[in-house]
Amino acid sequence: MSTRLHVAILSAATVLTVASLAFSQEPAAGQGKGQGKAQGKGKGGGRGGPVAPTGPTPRMPDGKPDLSGLWFRPYTPNMASGPAKDTRQGDPTGPKELPYTAAYKAKWDAYKPDEGDYTGACLPFGLMRSMNSPDPIQFMQHGDFMALLYEQNTWFKLIPIDGRPHAKNLDPTWFGDSVGHWEGDTLVVHTNNFNGKTRLDTAGHPHSDALEITERFTRPDLGHKSYEVMIHDPKAFTEDWGNKRTFTLRTDTQIMEYSCEENNKSLWEGRIKVPKYDEQ
Amino acid sequence: MKVRLTLGLGLIAGAIPVLAHHSFSAEFDATKTVSLKGTVTKVEWMNPHIWVYMDVNDDSGTMVRWQCEGGPPNSLTRNGWTKAALKQGDSITIDGTLSKDGSHTCNATRVSLPDGRRVFAGSSGGDTNLPPAANQ
Repeated sequence: MSTRLHVAILSAATVLTVASLAFSQEPAAGQGKGQGKAQGKGKGGGRGGPVAPTGPTPRMPDGKPDLSGLWFRPYTPNMASGPAKDTRQGDPTGPKELPYTAAYKAKWDAYKPDEGDYTGACLPFGLMRSMNSPDPIQFMQHGDFMALLYEQNTWFKLIPIDGRPHAKNLDPTWFGDSVGHWEGDTLVVHTNNFNGKTRLDTAGHPHSDALEITERFTRPDLGHKSYEVMIHDPKAFTEDWGNKRTFTLRTDTQIMEYSCEENNKSLWEGRIKVPKYDEQ
Repeated sequence: MKVRLTLGLGLIAGAIPVLAHHSFSAEFDATKTVSLKGTVTKVEWMNPHIWVYMDVNDDSGTMVRWQCEGGPPNSLTRNGWTKAALKQGDSITIDGTLSKDGSHTCNATRVSLPDGRRVFAGSSGGDTNLPPAANQ
């Protein structure tokens, strides 16, 4: 299968159109003590926040880049660059249309979020849709593991990054099974064993349980992280495809609790339908 | 205090609010916009989205209770909102999008506050082509 990555590299600033607001915002008590120069006001912080701090790539004692920090990412509700249902905001680094097989093109064409979007019921987004969400992620790198703390719904993912193979005989899950290894200064994370119940993005692009995701993380400087993702799913797609983004470090705020269930009144009052995710 | 209800139909100029935890079109109709001027009766500052309740007199003078969804508290906090930004009794105007079920429910795109400031009420990152007024 040919591998084709759409790598029209755009900076986060051009990917995002950020809405700055009139409210003044006092910087929160800082994380990132000693992490380079203070942040200045301006756009480019991922969600209208300060400019990323500057400085060299921080490194672990073993010399590997330290990917830790609170990272804001471009919200990517649509991984295709062309228009999709429910959103006009495509990712310009993605294919114009996702290269679906006939069977999954039919699934995509038939998708109606009005009939039940599983995330409206606060079910797990799954790996790709979590990486596409607008809420920040805290990366915590320690020894042989990388922990990702998703603010979105207060989920987490723990990734061994010592090159070990995938575990065997695991039940398929929403977020799949992830393992990582280093290729120079790039952390490569491969994830498989998905349950097939999720969708790739808010637009609702479907995938199958044969989905495999390869993510490449690099930190070219203190304030930025390059993210490249490749999608391999021979049931759903005729070829591999991917997106590329830039994450921005924020040291003026901290990760917050997020309960999807607390006041999900749209579901309780019936405006969002209970999903039939097993039929997706 | 004068309150009025104005319904406007038509495409929003590129501003589909971010609903990070579910699909926007699962609940709201982007082609049906609404402008509500009324009095705040309650604010629920809770995840996954804040809700603002308000009494609005329609053109016939009948008081109607509306509820409008805003962004998640986390992103609103980062954008400078606080729990005290809106309080019971405030006179505000909400511009938003109607729910599909025909109830008096909207998704707030913009809120005009008592002190005259107009702010974007949804999650900020990722919303494209916001009209300049949203940034005022």
